Amino acid sequence: MKKLLALFIGAGLAVATGCNKSSDSPASISRLSGGGKKFTIALMPKSKGNAYFISCKQGADAAARELGVDLVFDGPTDPDPAKQNEIIENWITLGVDVIAAACENKEGISTALRKARQKGIKVLTYDSDAAPDARSFFVNQATPEGIGDTLMDEAARLCGNDGEFAVITASLTAANMNEWQKHIEARRASKYPNMKMVALRPCDDLKDKAQSEATALLSANPNLKLLMAICSPAVPGAAEAVKQAGKTGRVKVIGLGLPSENRRYVKEGVTDSVILWKTKDLGYLTVQAAVALAKGELKAGVKTFKAGALGEFEIHDDNIVLGKPFIFNKDNIDQFDF
Amino acid sequence: MSNSYPTSKSDGWKFILLRHETVLLLVLAFEWFYFNSIGPRFGTLDNTFDMVRHSVEIGLLALVMTPIILTGGIDLSVGSLLGLCAILFGKLWRDAGLPIPLAMACTLGIGAVAGGLNALLITWLQLPPLIVTLGSYSLFRGLAEAITRGVDTFTNFPPSFLVLGQERLLGVPAQAPVFIVIAIGIWLLVHRTTFGRSFRAIGFAPDGARYAGIPVERRVALVYVLAGVVAALAAVIYTARLGQARADAGTGYELFAITAVVLGGTSIFGGTGSVHGTLLGVASIAVLSNGLVHARQPREVAGLLTGVLLIFALGSSALAKLLATLRARRQTVPTNIQSKQMP
Repeated sequence: MKKLLALFIGAGLAVATGCNKSSDSPASISRLSGGGKKFTIALMPKSKGNAYFISCKQGADAAARELGVDLVFDGPTDPDPAKQNEIIENWITLGVDVIAAACENKEGISTALRKARQKGIKVLTYDSDAAPDARSFFVNQATPEGIGDTLMDEAARLCGNDGEFAVITASLTAANMNEWQKHIEARRASKYPNMKMVALRPCDDLKDKAQSEATALLSANPNLKLLMAICSPAVPGAAEAVKQAGKTGRVKVIGLGLPSENRRYVKEGVTDSVILWKTKDLGYLTVQAAVALAKGELKAGVKTFKAGALGEFEIHDDNIVLGKPFIFNKDNIDQFDF
Repeated sequence: MSNSYPTSKSDGWKFILLRHETVLLLVLAFEWFYFNSIGPRFGTLDNTFDMVRHSVEIGLLALVMTPIILTGGIDLSVGSLLGLCAILFGKLWRDAGLPIPLAMACTLGIGAVAGGLNALLITWLQLPPLIVTLGSYSLFRGLAEAITRGVDTFTNFPPSFLVLGQERLLGVPAQAPVFIVIAIGIWLLVHRTTFGRSFRAIGFAPDGARYAGIPVERRVALVYVLAGVVAALAAVIYTARLGQARADAGTGYELFAITAVVLGGTSIFGGTGSVHGTLLGVASIAVLSNGLVHARQPREVAGLLTGVLLIFALGSSALAKLLATLRARRQTVPTNIQSKQMP
């Protein structure tokens, strides 16, 4: 029994010394950063090791240096879906000023974000949104319209405004892809009537399926001038099919994807352009918006927002839109490492 | 609570100091004071409650893993079962339209059946627990993914239910009393009943236990069924804490639970260990991973330091025991031999 006694005394001591601080609740802000008005911005990626988000962080760091704020960057390192919530709750206790999160689980994380707002912490989301009532603003990397228009413009440019093209998508039911598809078609009909879409094929988000679909498309459509892949595994898949069919240069490949996954094909001249947004800019804009939110400059009803070196951004309702997607090609792809 | 009680009163204090739980308690106290000295918000009541909330599910799994490991077994399926129970709970409530309390009760029943499946294969077919639960580890997770086809997510639970995971009741996190009740229950079962003694006996020597008249199969079955029920309870609490149930709930939790049990001093071969050791193990891991956030250290360090903690805690108590044995042996050596060996 003695050891039990010792155990309880020890535990009691630990709890007692710990809890006497409980009086200072998390209401007051930015004391952590050591006095003054130095804000603490907490930035959460979907997962911490992801090259996409590491690249976002570089932009976020730059913005934090310019604005003189503390940036905390943390996110899950394992596949536990509860981790994002735990980190948010830790941040609430830490008393950060703004939380900016890329949400892995829309519903799950929203409960934690609402709690943060109740405690007076400003919340915004970037890359992928939470429930609208769980955040003030969403830093939206690209609108469906922007993605659709850019893809179609690039396709028309490469084909000289004339010829057949085919689209490879992830699945015929994916909501975001259908939305993009709608805008691709609208742009084609209004600006490039001589372009003709001959097929739309799903690849189940698999590279090898995309490759076999692309091979089939190539043999079935001898006049095909371009393959457009709108899900990221399909871009290298389509490129591999074109390369193996010996049609490099005669059939162009473009798509939505990461520069790193396509660098090889772009350099070999198989893939002409990879379309995405500049992830560094996304991180930069997110931190700029977070600080403006903390200062109260960014609030409901504001129509434009100036983000440091990137200039003015329009705000649609509660979406801050990064702008037109960026086109990665042979000339610039080496500057990007995600 | 262990098998070797001190023989005389004068050995008492030395015995306490050498105990694994004491080492762990010192480690825990050190962690607490260290993080408290560098993290201004670490010691607040809010943060303490955060730690409790975040470790209840893994804590429950670790508690129920303790008797299993005491019998020389292991259950790798508890994390997967948590995922399966979470989505079945969601299905019972949303698709079958059951009221929350009834859905909870059914979920606990499902947990018991799933634990029973493990128990049946282990006791009836005499398959090794490692193999059986490695199978059900994949089976339960696979079922969860098949039922939801990997995409279905259950959300929009009523606020009255979410209270269980997110709010405070009577000043403490709502799930804390549930955890305390289960902890006391399992402590009493392991340390104050003949069942508990039989678990250790089975862990030491199953055949010996059988000859001593212990119904080994029934006792072993009991611990796996119990694990199933508690994993289901953890699933309900997890769902309430996150406000969602998805097939990936509880991924990797079985290993966290086993780590806590082993850190708490329970022998992986069975036979020795304690429930309060497990609780200390859970607490030291929880304090470590939370404290690192307050110390502004990257999260990756938590895994690394958990490893260091495990090796340090187990190593130092093993070393202390080794030194004590050596000293005891030297004291019993006759003086003339001793003088020859050590001039």
